[in-house]
Amino acid sequence: MAEKGLVCSQVRVDYPEFTLSLDLEVSPGELVSIIGPSGCGKSTTLQLITGLIPCHTGSISLNGRDISHVPVWERNIGMVFQDYALFPHLNVGKNVAYSLRFQNISKRERSERIIRLLELVDLAGYDKRKINELSGGERQRVALARALASQPQLLLLDEPLSALDAKMRKRLRQQIRHIHEETGITTLYVTHDQEEALTISDRIMVMQQGRMEQYDTPERIYNRPATLFAARFMGDGTLLPHDLIPRTLVSIDKGPDTVIFRSSGESKQVFFRPERVIVHDNPSLAFPEFLPHLRFTDAKVISCEYQGGRYLLSCEWNGHTILAYTRHRPKHSRVSLGVRVNDLVEYVADTVVGESH
Amino acid sequence: MNRKEGKDILDTSRFYRALGTPAMLLLTFLFLIPLSIILGKAFVDVDGGLSLERLQAMLSDPYTWRILRFTLVQALVSTLVSVAIGLPGAYLLATYRFRGKGIIKAICTIPFVLPSILVVLGFVIFYGNNGMINQAIMTILGTDTPPLKILYTFAAVILAHAFYNFPIALGLISSFWEQLPSRYNHAAMTLGARRWTIFRTVTLPRLVPAILSASTLIFLFCFSSFAILLVLGGGPRFTTLEVEIYRRARMTLDIEGAAALSILSIVITLVLVAIHIWTQKLMTHQEEIERIDERRLERRPSSFTGRVAVMGYMVFSVVFVLGPLLGIVYRSFQAPVSRSGDLAFSLRWYRQLFGLEEVAGSALGTAVTALLSSLTIALVTSIVSLTIGTMLAARLRRTNRKRALSMELYAMLPMAVSSVVVGLGYYLVSSAIVGGRAVGITLVVLAHVVITSPFVLRSILPEYRKIPFSYTQASLTLGANVSQTFRRVELPLLRPAMATGAAFAFAISMGEINATLVLADSSISTVPIVMYRLIGSYNFAGACALGTILMVCCAIVFAFTETMKRS
Repeated sequence: MAEKGLVCSQVRVDYPEFTLSLDLEVSPGELVSIIGPSGCGKSTTLQLITGLIPCHTGSISLNGRDISHVPVWERNIGMVFQDYALFPHLNVGKNVAYSLRFQNISKRERSERIIRLLELVDLAGYDKRKINELSGGERQRVALARALASQPQLLLLDEPLSALDAKMRKRLRQQIRHIHEETGITTLYVTHDQEEALTISDRIMVMQQGRMEQYDTPERIYNRPATLFAARFMGDGTLLPHDLIPRTLVSIDKGPDTVIFRSSGESKQVFFRPERVIVHDNPSLAFPEFLPHLRFTDAKVISCEYQGGRYLLSCEWNGHTILAYTRHRPKHSRVSLGVRVNDLVEYVADTVVGESH
Repeated sequence: MNRKEGKDILDTSRFYRALGTPAMLLLTFLFLIPLSIILGKAFVDVDGGLSLERLQAMLSDPYTWRILRFTLVQALVSTLVSVAIGLPGAYLLATYRFRGKGIIKAICTIPFVLPSILVVLGFVIFYGNNGMINQAIMTILGTDTPPLKILYTFAAVILAHAFYNFPIALGLISSFWEQLPSRYNHAAMTLGARRWTIFRTVTLPRLVPAILSASTLIFLFCFSSFAILLVLGGGPRFTTLEVEIYRRARMTLDIEGAAALSILSIVITLVLVAIHIWTQKLMTHQEEIERIDERRLERRPSSFTGRVAVMGYMVFSVVFVLGPLLGIVYRSFQAPVSRSGDLAFSLRWYRQLFGLEEVAGSALGTAVTALLSSLTIALVTSIVSLTIGTMLAARLRRTNRKRALSMELYAMLPMAVSSVVVGLGYYLVSSAIVGGRAVGITLVVLAHVVITSPFVLRSILPEYRKIPFSYTQASLTLGANVSQTFRRVELPLLRPAMATGAAFAFAISMGEINATLVLADSSISTVPIVMYRLIGSYNFAGACALGTILMVCCAIVFAFTETMKRS
């Protein structure tokens, strides 16, 4: 295989009640997130790629070299562990330099590299510190510097921010993205936080029960989820039966939308995100939408949650619950909701239909 | 992390297997050889055929049953007394914060390393007819007859065992008690229960596993106690199984009878160890259920009675445990200065001990040789046990729970055979080999390795299990192979536990008398054996001088390991 980057093809690992199957390509210099609920196989995937779990079926290649049977310590893949796994008996500098002991690197270059790496992660001058003197965020960055020290061809991050508080998480994910851009290293980033995945990645792989659900850009993952699982996992939304469409479709001056009537419905569903919903709470004014859309008149506001900057409305319409974001608290308990036909995603048996928009 | 069942690279790594297997083989070898020779002696009749004759003879002898009954009764009474003394202290340690708590906690580790011959000697010096307590009372009352005549009685055995073993109860129960979350007590309080009711209905039931665990361990120790009964029991009236095995093997030369009795001893100790392991499982089970993080409130004793209780217990345990030991040190510097027998400060015993002053016919003359061989034996024993213990721990850390339990049991097996029986086994080995002093010393070392390696394993394995797997995995992804990871990550993190284990092995070996006395011929003398001979010839002061040196050696080793841990 002459392909660059990381290629996992037809990798399978069987556990008593769980099977992981993996087909994944990551281009050189790309940052890919793996996201999914706990127990979906994210960490196992990373351990397979590092070689901590042996790969018996399928193959893994990195920059054109088949590494399926190369021992862990010869793969040169950097990994940041969830608990950082910094060695408590070594100081910061020695932790960072750990991998350099196993390479032929002169003492001078070693110390130069430690200095450079600690500068990269904003910890210049920390090399003599003890691990237990560091804060969580500092430990995380030391772990990152240590993983980068041997100049690996691939960097794996296993929920690196999950042990930190919200503010620190935001700061560090920017820093990780920044370091990624600076080093240009191919990176796999495991997380269970959808916001983190959306902000940091070039592409996202959504996993469930050992399978890949979708592998795409953050925008497409969010707006066009390939499965209902991916749709729900990546954020809030409303799911309605497809046969509601004829009753609610409003086409002002154009003809009926082609997408909707292209296929006949049984067990078909439509999905849309709350920010796509237009909320109209003043019946004396005209409904502010002119393109073809579904309109749900006289929906009852059940709850109105302030989220700082916006409200999440939960409305009841003919026994269905519809979620919507608004900038203002609705003036009445009855509102009209609208969603453009173009913003609907259709599913048959949990899988998206019609790749065209 | 990876919570699912699956083969991780370390499971399949040959390195840990390669570490564990030889250690296991060696231990098996060291343990099984003497054991099988004993079995051979017990089950083989005069013609060389298999027979149960000897066992039947042993079991039908009423003398056997008399000894066994006495052994069990003294162990039971000793256990009850030890737990009864330890339990109130455990309460104080678990509930109150007070000055001197550290001293009491340090006392709790003493029984595991304190040589039994020192216990015996301390007992004689402290409680003996001419002992310090008697002298104190005699001075106060102005009489000439010692009021306390306890030596060579049943009470002496019990008291010595209690002094030796109550710290075990204290340590085990209090550390378990400390971990019990207090929210159940608070719940009971809000439900209207008074303090005593809470103790009876809430705390005590939860303490049962710890009390049982401490009791079985103490019972086991008292059952196989040897030196204390040999000296303080003082005669056929207070003979236990272990003493009888020694007597038959080395005095009446009834090897087969000794072997048959050993079988009885092995069966009983095996049962006791099994029960002890079961109680430990109960303890960990309860700890798992009750693992709640909460800030522990330790209050200072507020009431007057509380303060008196704490003070009283502290004084009692310090005097009870440290008194005899300090008495030994004090006595070693006392010698008669005049014909009338008045004592004054003197270095005479030390001068005699180091050969600076000639003494005819005293065992003290052999003390320097004994000290050198004891040091050599202890050093080699601790190195070998440390190696075996570490290798076994590396192997056991990776195995899954079910298999680990059986393997741990296996590694604990040497504990299930009393040291007298181990000594007997190696005595039988030595009688089969023709060899000089070097062979004899080697056999002593091997017996000590069998006795000490379970202790080393027990101090290393829990620490090993505390090292997160992610450390090992991180090291592997950073380019270190399995053996480099073992050397650069795991071993450095284990260093404190290894130091403790080695120090324990050293101290136990240094003070070991049971196996050594049974096994060694007259050409080999260790410090405890010379002390035993000195006590036997009523040279208590000389024994005290040697005992002080023994304590100093162990103290130096422990101080050295403390500095090792720090650096």
